[in-house]
Amino acid sequence: MSMHPRERLDFSPIDGRPPLNLPKGVRMVIWPVLALEEWDMARPMARMVISPPQGQPMQPDHPNWSWHEYGMRVGFWRMKKVFEQLGVNPTVTLNARVCETYPKVVEACIANNWELNAHGYDQVPMHKLEDQRAVIGKAMDIITKFSGKKPRGWFGPGLTQTFDTLDYLSEAGIEYIGDWVLDDEPVMLKTTHKPVVALPYNFEIHDIVMMALQHHPSDVMHTRALDQFDWLYEEAAERPKIMAIACHPYLSGVPHRIGHVQRTFKEVLAREGVVAWDGAQILDWYLAQQK
Amino acid sequence: MAGPMIPKERSDYSAIVDRPPLKLPGNARIVFWTTVNYEVWDIGKPMARQLLPAPTGVPLMPDVVHWAFHEYGMRVGCWRFFELFKRLGIKPTLAANARICEEYPRVAKQALDDGWEFMGHAYEQGPIHKEADQAGMINRTMDIMQKFTGKRPVGWLGPGLTQTLETPDLLAAAGVKYIGDWVYDDEPTVIRTAKGPLVTLPYSIELNDIPMMLIQHHESDYLLKRTIDQFDRLYAESEKRAKFCALAIHPYISGQPHRIKYLEQIYDYVNKHEGVLHWNGEQILDWYQKARPKAA
Repeated sequence: MSMHPRERLDFSPIDGRPPLNLPKGVRMVIWPVLALEEWDMARPMARMVISPPQGQPMQPDHPNWSWHEYGMRVGFWRMKKVFEQLGVNPTVTLNARVCETYPKVVEACIANNWELNAHGYDQVPMHKLEDQRAVIGKAMDIITKFSGKKPRGWFGPGLTQTFDTLDYLSEAGIEYIGDWVLDDEPVMLKTTHKPVVALPYNFEIHDIVMMALQHHPSDVMHTRALDQFDWLYEEAAERPKIMAIACHPYLSGVPHRIGHVQRTFKEVLAREGVVAWDGAQILDWYLAQQK
Repeated sequence: MAGPMIPKERSDYSAIVDRPPLKLPGNARIVFWTTVNYEVWDIGKPMARQLLPAPTGVPLMPDVVHWAFHEYGMRVGCWRFFELFKRLGIKPTLAANARICEEYPRVAKQALDDGWEFMGHAYEQGPIHKEADQAGMINRTMDIMQKFTGKRPVGWLGPGLTQTLETPDLLAAAGVKYIGDWVYDDEPTVIRTAKGPLVTLPYSIELNDIPMMLIQHHESDYLLKRTIDQFDRLYAESEKRAKFCALAIHPYISGQPHRIKYLEQIYDYVNKHEGVLHWNGEQILDWYQKARPKAA
């Protein structure tokens, strides 16, 4: 039994909706998301920064595999330092397989008390999985076992999902997702099991979209994020606003971009009433608002 | 006649330098024509546009994330538009899929209450070439809008500006008076159809946030830069003959927080100039019917 998105959530215009309330002194929430992926060399690479001569896709795709691998060997550690200096705990959304292939990276996240959010088993669209339920269960088990804590949140690989995915996620104990970029506020989605909250993610302040797909110069990470922030910050005078910033170590963690990422966080967090929360904190706040 | 007319048969070539200039009323020299597009993206079909293709780039359905991306425009983005245009006192043309009257009546009602012009823009978003019954779809679109607003739309924009060779005949038969799909001139023109003349208004395919942002991937402030460049040149030329500067926007693109201030600044800039009219398509049509050379 598949549910159409409309059956999970009624249309609701933000105009006229009663505002939510953030704790005293908080005007706006930044939600940093750091995504860790596993790109299996046996398959086409998830993204390509360079295509082979004559443009034909070739396998194995060494150049793009190593591009991603740089993120795990070097980029992640650069980003970790930046987040530590800023005192920010991002939500780490990870392919569960990263616990097997890059345990040192995941251990570093756990040591920093960063929230682990499940992001599939590896970087393959949900549509391509023969048994979604089993893969979701496997991803949850691996992360739970590795970290000693069950993930509360989920991002589909490439934000993909089918009409049934949410039901399987709810069955597996997932409480929030980030894949529905349809509102400025959290919303509650019906499932065949317990309701799941969709947190206000966005994929325009997102390094894959901006850098790998739209090919903007590195400093657009900062320009666009600040444009987004300034407008939301104004609107936050009337109702709480949440702004997600999505980073991948192979993109945001490279030397020519990291400075722009760093000053983005630095500048927005310096504004009055702006805090950085992870997904679980936003979820708990929202759930408390529903009572 | 064997088949439908090809464009050349509908419209003779005409060089703008050979034409007598059109004159706007009073001291007006340029019309700024804002078109807001509200669409319905059916989750049962591939989404009209994609920002983030699935890993490895394979097209997959359902495409829930892009459905949600569009839905943001209707839940949040369009309210930024309504506020802006209310404040500016501008009543844009609304190129809307008729299905918004059924699926987003709250949004359609707001546009109606704010006095926006409703323009036919197909029943839902998909190329018109794929319609099994184009005439039926066009009539249905016009009927739904007429029922919702109490007035039959006079304008039409193809979904994604698409049309087949027959489309102008079918539109004229359905009561459409002007179209925006022929982006071939700086001035309105009249084309032939099997059901009498049809006016083309000078819409723009380049001052449009879909090509600029989703296809060409320009930075957010580029909407402002390109519009100023376009407006400046047209404004200079409008000393000699009436000019039209059309801008097309979508709530899931220009209604995003990181883009809306540039849209706002477009109007700040344009309104600093003397002789600028903010007319919608129907107002341009009404003026043109009187102003155009009668022999044409």
